[in-house]
Amino acid sequence: MRIKKILVLGSLIILVLTISLAFNSGALGYYPLPLPGVRLLASWYLYTTLNPQYPVFTAMSPEAVTAIVWDYRGLDTLFETAVFFLAIVGALALMRGISLKVVLDSKNDNSDGGLSLICKTATKILVPLIIAVSASIALHGHLTPGGGFQGGSAAAVAPLLILVIFSVYFLLSKGVSEKPMLVLRTVGLLGIYFTALAAVFIGLFTGLNAYVFQNQPKFNAPVGLPAQISGALISGSLFFFNIFEYLAVAGGFTLVFILLSVPEEIVKSFVSGETHG
Amino acid sequence: MVEANTFLFNVFLFSLFFNVGISLYGVFVRPSLIKKIIALTIFSDTANVLAIAVGYRGWPSPEQPPIPPVLIGVEPSSEDLGRFINQAVDPLPQALVLTAIVIGLAVTLFLVFLTLQVYRLYGTTDVRKVAKLRG
Repeated sequence: MRIKKILVLGSLIILVLTISLAFNSGALGYYPLPLPGVRLLASWYLYTTLNPQYPVFTAMSPEAVTAIVWDYRGLDTLFETAVFFLAIVGALALMRGISLKVVLDSKNDNSDGGLSLICKTATKILVPLIIAVSASIALHGHLTPGGGFQGGSAAAVAPLLILVIFSVYFLLSKGVSEKPMLVLRTVGLLGIYFTALAAVFIGLFTGLNAYVFQNQPKFNAPVGLPAQISGALISGSLFFFNIFEYLAVAGGFTLVFILLSVPEEIVKSFVSGETHG
Repeated sequence: MVEANTFLFNVFLFSLFFNVGISLYGVFVRPSLIKKIIALTIFSDTANVLAIAVGYRGWPSPEQPPIPPVLIGVEPSSEDLGRFINQAVDPLPQALVLTAIVIGLAVTLFLVFLTLQVYRLYGTTDVRKVAKLRG
C-alpha cells in the first residue's frame, strides 16, 4: 500500500514538473506568459463582434464571449447543451419509479418544518430578487457579461434555498415538482432547436440560401435574423438562445435539486426491490 | 533582472500545476467516492483557471491594463474598435471555460447521483469495499 502511494506521488510530481517544463520551453508558442498581445484569431473575434462596417462578418453583439458561445462556435454550445441534457436524463433514469406524489403524501405530521422564522422571512424577500437578477443576467446576456447558462444557474439557487430553508414538501405543495420542471426544460430545448433553424425556415419561405445556426446575413446567404428591434439591440439569434437556455438550465437544475432532496426512506423503499449486480 | 510581473505569473502557473497534482492524487488515492468527486471538481476548476490564464494578455504599461472583452457602446467607431482590440483579453478561452463549467456541473450532478445510488444499494462509498462485492 505504501509503495503504491509513493509511486502515485512520484509520478504526479514528475507530471507537474513536466508540464511546467513544457510551458517554460514555449509549449504555447510564446514565451514569457502573459503574452503582450492576443492571438490572431482572438483579434479577429474582437474586431468583428460588433462592427456594422462589415455586415457579413459581424455577430452584432458587443459581448464577445456570448458572440463566440452562440454565433462563432454555436455548434459547440449546441452539443454542450446536449451533454447537459443527457446528464440530467441519466440522473432521472437513476431515480426512475420514484413519484413525487408519494413524497408529498408521506408527510404525516402538520408541523411546518424547515429553519427558523428569521431564515424563512429573509428567504421570502430574497427569492424574488434572485429570480429578477437571474432574469436580468439572461436577458442582457448579449450586452453585458452573462447569458443563459449563468442566468439559469443563478435562477436555480432560488428553489435550492427554498428546499433547504423551508422543505421539499413546501416546494412540492407550491406546484414546483417534476412535471412543470420537465415542461420548462423541454420548452427551453425546443426553443433552442427552433432558433437554430430559424434562418433556414426564413430561407425556405423566401427561396434564399441559408444555413443552420446562422445569425447575421453572410456572403452567399442573405437572410438573417434582425440585429435590432425598434432601436433596441437584440443581436439576432443570441437573445433568443439566451432566453431558451435560461429556461432549460433553470428547469433542469431545479428538477435535479428536487430529486436529490427526496427523503431517504422513500427512495430506499423504491430501490430495495433491485438486486445487487 | 527578472521582471516582477513575469515572475509572479510563473509562480501563479506553477501553483496551478501543483494543484493539478494534488487533485489527481485525490482522485487516484482517496478511497471514498465523494472525495474523488471533490478532487475531480478541483481538477476541472484548475484546468479552467489555466485556460483563462492562457487567454490573459500582458499589460503594456501600468496605466494601460487589459480590459474585459465587452464593448461599451453599441455603435463603435473605428477608433473605439482599435482601442478595444489593443486592450481586451482573449474572449475564446472564456467562452470555452463557460461551456466547460456547465458541462462540469452537469457531470458532477450525475456522479453525485451515481454515488448516492451506490450508497443506497451497497451501504458504502468506499471503492475498495464496492469492488469486493459479489452479487
